[in-house]
Amino acid sequence: MRLAKAFVPIVMSTILVLTGCAGSGSGGEEKKVLNIYSWADNFNPDVIKDFEQKFGAKVNYDTFGSNEEMLAKLQAGGGQYDLIQPSDYMVKAMINLNLLEELDKSKIPNVENLQDNFKNPPYDPESKHSIVYMSGVTGIAYNKKYIKEAPDSWEDLWNPEYKGRVVLMDDNREVIGMSLKKNGFSNSSVEETELNKAFVDLKALVPNILAFDTNTIKQKFITEETWIGTVWSGDASFIAAENPDIGYVVPKEGGTIFADTYAIPKAGKNKELAHEFINYMMDPEVSVKNYEYIGYSNPNAKALPLHSEEYRNNTMINLSPEELSRTEWLGDVGENLKVYDRLWTELKSGR
Amino acid sequence: MKNKGKLLAVPGLLWLGIFFVIPLLFVVILAFSQRGVYGEIIYTFTLENFSRFFEPLYIQIFFESLIVAVATTLICLLLGYPLAYMITRVNPKWQNAWLLIVMLPFWINFLVRSYAWVIILRSQGLVNTFLQSIGLIDQPLTLLYTPGAVLLGMVYALLPFIILPIYVSLEQLDRKKLEAAYDLGASPLKAFWHVTLPLSMPGVISGSILVFVSSLGMFVVPDIMGGAKSALFGNIIQNQFLSARDWPFGSALSMVVVLFSIILIFLYYRATQSQEKLEGRG
Repeated sequence: MRLAKAFVPIVMSTILVLTGCAGSGSGGEEKKVLNIYSWADNFNPDVIKDFEQKFGAKVNYDTFGSNEEMLAKLQAGGGQYDLIQPSDYMVKAMINLNLLEELDKSKIPNVENLQDNFKNPPYDPESKHSIVYMSGVTGIAYNKKYIKEAPDSWEDLWNPEYKGRVVLMDDNREVIGMSLKKNGFSNSSVEETELNKAFVDLKALVPNILAFDTNTIKQKFITEETWIGTVWSGDASFIAAENPDIGYVVPKEGGTIFADTYAIPKAGKNKELAHEFINYMMDPEVSVKNYEYIGYSNPNAKALPLHSEEYRNNTMINLSPEELSRTEWLGDVGENLKVYDRLWTELKSGR
Repeated sequence: MKNKGKLLAVPGLLWLGIFFVIPLLFVVILAFSQRGVYGEIIYTFTLENFSRFFEPLYIQIFFESLIVAVATTLICLLLGYPLAYMITRVNPKWQNAWLLIVMLPFWINFLVRSYAWVIILRSQGLVNTFLQSIGLIDQPLTLLYTPGAVLLGMVYALLPFIILPIYVSLEQLDRKKLEAAYDLGASPLKAFWHVTLPLSMPGVISGSILVFVSSLGMFVVPDIMGGAKSALFGNIIQNQFLSARDWPFGSALSMVVVLFSIILIFLYYRATQSQEKLEGRG
């Protein structure tokens, strides 16, 4: 079996490749260091460079692919991060887990620039632990080539003509929340009857579903594999830039509004610099440079007049007050996340 | 001398201890713990995670995943055995080239290779574009996001794991035994059936176990090539660690897979031991 033994390391290393190992490192210098943990491509790199120069600091940037991945890393005590960017419902969970530092607003005078509707979000009353960085709404994106009449209701996804053409996000809260909204319930309902109604409807939607996808949903729209589906407004704007046939609506029943935020973990080392960073990013001119690049809506009230016309006229980035009035935040469902996960598993089990 | 040999094993043992035994112990402890309201882990002993596994929903998914794993293993075997057999028969100077081709895909990240399949199979993909251009079909075929696509992805990913062990078994097969069979008048088919196949069984079994166990835990292929529509057991486990924030339940489900694998490997040892006894080596 000599040869067989020679193959063992090969086989083992391929198993490692299969399971996908990732590592990350960060170097330290004499300078002040700000360790940021955020989503990929969430800042204009030039703005980060400006900050480094102005404050004589070094910014390290680690990325996560989901809120849960970020939470898992922080709970495991891995990585000392000074600034993180959790989404709304995760802020609530992290406050409850006592992981977030209370922000010192006196060090962030620019917080005054924030639009009023973001100053007191339900997941973090009075924004004590987090400040909105960017926000968007889950609505319907559709391809006008195949869908002649613009959809106006979540109900439209159930149209039998779209068999095998609908894409939904691969996220239990988004999808079950959507079906709850369709039935006129809260997107975070924990009522058994309401959840069951939403589930029965989703089961009926299965023949129409092409795939569940969050990470590569944009490609599915650009290559026209899918005709219609649930998409974040910012992603819709990205898709429309690549494929001009794409339209986007917030259905009449209303959609889920979400936000990524700035927050400072309790375990962070350089809280002073983290506050300075948040304040710098909320400067109107800096924010314009940043948001024009990332293509998401700027929550900075003072910045809107400074933005380019192209940015201001993009209705997928800047939703109308009427559309925003029909939105609802996802609430943390605590223990009931088990119920959501069970329904989700059942939806995908083919029962 | 004996002790010196043992010393050389220390780094390997340390590696196994730190990167295999300790994480496994964590999984065991987690499997008997509870989930807090916000997904934190409460270290209070409970069997609830295991009793949850026995709910019809999870048992059903487990059995469906078993069926997919068995199908993957059988297809890999049917494709892999003849290929491994052929490689042992070609001119020895070409053997290494063939083995290299078998292992070549491992040089590219598995995720990238899965997305390559998406590009090949999607409705405007290579296959559909080609078939349409030669006028064989009018409408693109639905090749992706189907159970068939999942099976294809699994077989593609795991085929080398069965080819290599079978190749090893066939390569060291004692040709004299085959010659003896021919001398005694056996037809090539009979010689294969009574000599080659039994002697290559260790490779067949170890390769099958590798493929079977790997496919039971696979979650990337059902997500990317299956469109995440029908969850396999690996996806359920992955969900517990991410969206459901229920590490204890996820650990319990992982333990089920581990236990299942241990039973299989135990059976494998029993089988190979009786094999060796048959050959008078045991």
